[in-house]
Amino acid sequence: MSRRDVLRRGGSFSLAGLALLLPPELLAGQRVEGARTATEWLVFTDHEAAVVKEASARLIPGPEDDPAEVGHPGAREADVVRYIDTMLGALSMSPAKVFAGGPFSNRAGSPVDDMAHFIGLSPAQAHGWRLRIAGYRRAYSIGVVALDHLAGGDFERATNTVRDEALTKDPDGFASLLFQHAAEGMYSVPEYGGNRGLVGWKDIRFPGDRQPRGYTPDQVSLSDGPDRYRPRGAAATLLALMRASSGR
Amino acid sequence: MTGARASVAVVGSGPGGATAAKVLAEAGHDVVIFEKGRSYFSNLTSDLPGTVFSNDELKTDRNFAEADPLSEPRVFRTSTADKTPFVGAVQSLPQTVGGGAVHWDAKTPRYWDIDFKKRSLLGPQPGAAVEDWPFSYEEIAPHYEVIEQLIGVQGSRAELPPLTRRHAPHSTDFPMPPGPPQYSSLLAAKGAKAVGLHPFPAAMAINSREYEGRPACNNCGFCSDYGCPILARIGALAPLRDALLAGAELRERSTVVHVGHRNGRVHGVQWLDEHGNHHRQLFDAVVLAGNSIETVRLALFSNLPDPYRATGRYLMFHWFTDGSGIFLDERLHGYRGRDHTHDIDDFANPEFPGARRAAKEAGLPYFRAGKVEMGGTDRPLGEAQQYVGILPVLAPHKPFGRAFKELMRSSILRDRLLGLTLMGEDLPYATNRVDLDRNVRDWRGYPVPRITYSPGRHELAAQAFYMPWMVKLLEAAGAEVALAIPQEPSARFPVGAAGVPSTDHIMGGMRMGRNPATSVTDSEGRHHQLENLFVADGSVFPTSGGHNPTLTIMATARRNALRWAAAL
Repeated sequence: MSRRDVLRRGGSFSLAGLALLLPPELLAGQRVEGARTATEWLVFTDHEAAVVKEASARLIPGPEDDPAEVGHPGAREADVVRYIDTMLGALSMSPAKVFAGGPFSNRAGSPVDDMAHFIGLSPAQAHGWRLRIAGYRRAYSIGVVALDHLAGGDFERATNTVRDEALTKDPDGFASLLFQHAAEGMYSVPEYGGNRGLVGWKDIRFPGDRQPRGYTPDQVSLSDGPDRYRPRGAAATLLALMRASSGR
Repeated sequence: MTGARASVAVVGSGPGGATAAKVLAEAGHDVVIFEKGRSYFSNLTSDLPGTVFSNDELKTDRNFAEADPLSEPRVFRTSTADKTPFVGAVQSLPQTVGGGAVHWDAKTPRYWDIDFKKRSLLGPQPGAAVEDWPFSYEEIAPHYEVIEQLIGVQGSRAELPPLTRRHAPHSTDFPMPPGPPQYSSLLAAKGAKAVGLHPFPAAMAINSREYEGRPACNNCGFCSDYGCPILARIGALAPLRDALLAGAELRERSTVVHVGHRNGRVHGVQWLDEHGNHHRQLFDAVVLAGNSIETVRLALFSNLPDPYRATGRYLMFHWFTDGSGIFLDERLHGYRGRDHTHDIDDFANPEFPGARRAAKEAGLPYFRAGKVEMGGTDRPLGEAQQYVGILPVLAPHKPFGRAFKELMRSSILRDRLLGLTLMGEDLPYATNRVDLDRNVRDWRGYPVPRITYSPGRHELAAQAFYMPWMVKLLEAAGAEVALAIPQEPSARFPVGAAGVPSTDHIMGGMRMGRNPATSVTDSEGRHHQLENLFVADGSVFPTSGGHNPTLTIMATARRNALRWAAAL
């Protein structure tokens, strides 16, 4: 069953529409390439990094961000902001940090982490990624300005309630884009800069990459035993929605 | 055979191209294989090539193996009247050495006897160009057997249900026994049996034991959509290796953009290297094997003679329906294994109880869906993006935060999901086609393929009939919530899981046939107007069948290429 194509088609956003929403004086204040001081970030300014870090921690909260998530690391702990900064700066590295190598990491029986060595892009791939990353960079520059604006001037210093309201407004899809990238930083192999300490996988009980060890026949064929889930909240709503549209 | 060595260009290194290249090179011809994509393999002439494919979901989502849709988009529209065409990834098969046999989970069922004689045995369908194939099941069967040995297929002849044995008989057992069954597939098989259907271990070109120097599959679970990190799934690399050992040359990152022709013969190709430099080379013959979409695109770039405007028409995918069963009492770990391990063939039977009557009510003489793949699930990034997409509906006041984390931990759409995929047969319609969109260009400035495609009454009637069966099966398997949903939306079912076709089963466009007015290639895949131009991919299929096409692509390429090799 292959549902990947289904998924990667979701989520669209428009930069032009977003720019129209913003007061012109805010856009005029956008960061100018080259006028930056040295930071620990490849692409972000310190302020952008702080906003992205705080915003992604609202989207995928950890113990510091939501009392219900004690014991459950989130975007902050997984270092999602590092993942996103790495993606936005992927072409400034050689080889580009777009495709991790293979065939194995050192997490499932190989002594060597091949994934740590990235694979250079072909000219056709490089063309696509230049366009894609340029679009993302514009989206982040403008999106951070929009979140600051919606949070009364500075998202970084706003309360969680105000931050949540700003993100719920999803200024022309920026929060959705950030959510998509935050999920990538949470659950992808750690070589891309996120999922630090594999906290994303541990929280959902996913073993991650599995070569060269694989799974034993018993692990493939037998039940892992009872594990009752009692749906509530959004999960209960989702199941009700699925029941209602069963196709029967 | 004339005895002379002919120089032959094969365009495409996937299952069809590699098979044709092997046959031609082993017959003593000088073969150059042009592959537009790059190679992710080393030591292609060894039994066990090296690879950089890995268990990396993000890499796969970033189109590691496929063309980047920003560099090489395609256009999709549902009809000529569709005013909002989609531009992006459409039916995007891998663009790499090895082609479509790189990303697959290698399910290799044979087509049925009735597929090859569809018109004679089942009759015509209104609005569709249903035809017989130029050969029968009996003729293609020995080629199936050779390919099954070559790429190493696991399966159990004894466990094939009577229906499958009758329509696709195997004269010998599979090269390897089935590997360990997946728990979720076993649950589905139990459900299928309980409602009177006939599950069986799926035929797949994956090693269940060491085979010709390559290891047994260790069930890592990153199978469908992933290149195999240990080459337990060799696919097109097996015939490619044989072609290279017989002297063929492989040119990766080399894009053929024109096939030269004059007076009923082709005389060579123009191609671009990866830096965009133009090259020309003369050949005695050319084989096209870029799949239905890219082969038709190259035919149109080259202005190949097309007196009846048949090129690109009768494009077929498979009309997919997804089933989802949710289990709340246990986790199913569908992420371990070979995507899925069990199939049913019942819905491929035009005589399925009630099917004739339902067809009649829909105004059709008969209908047919196809194989159902049972088991398997999504991976974490895919699951997360589903929740990101649906949370604005589930929790509009705050569509993120702890609700998302709880969904991920509950894993309703991954660890507790049992998936089904029904691949329904697509009839050939003249209106479903590939042409060029001159307003959208790829990164090099060439017009991109435009796909015009909608299901017909046949596909939708079969889907409507079998969707409730999928729900019944899932409920009998123990699912607390079960639903069936079309993969693509249609006039009949406006909600689909995907926006545009993404089945990766691509057939037709250069269909074989005796009549040049309704086909592009003759009964051995030779172009009707160009005596030394051949086609070796799924574009030659006259009808689509109801099963995964790759084994039939390879068997057909072998059957035809043996004739070409002798005639050159």
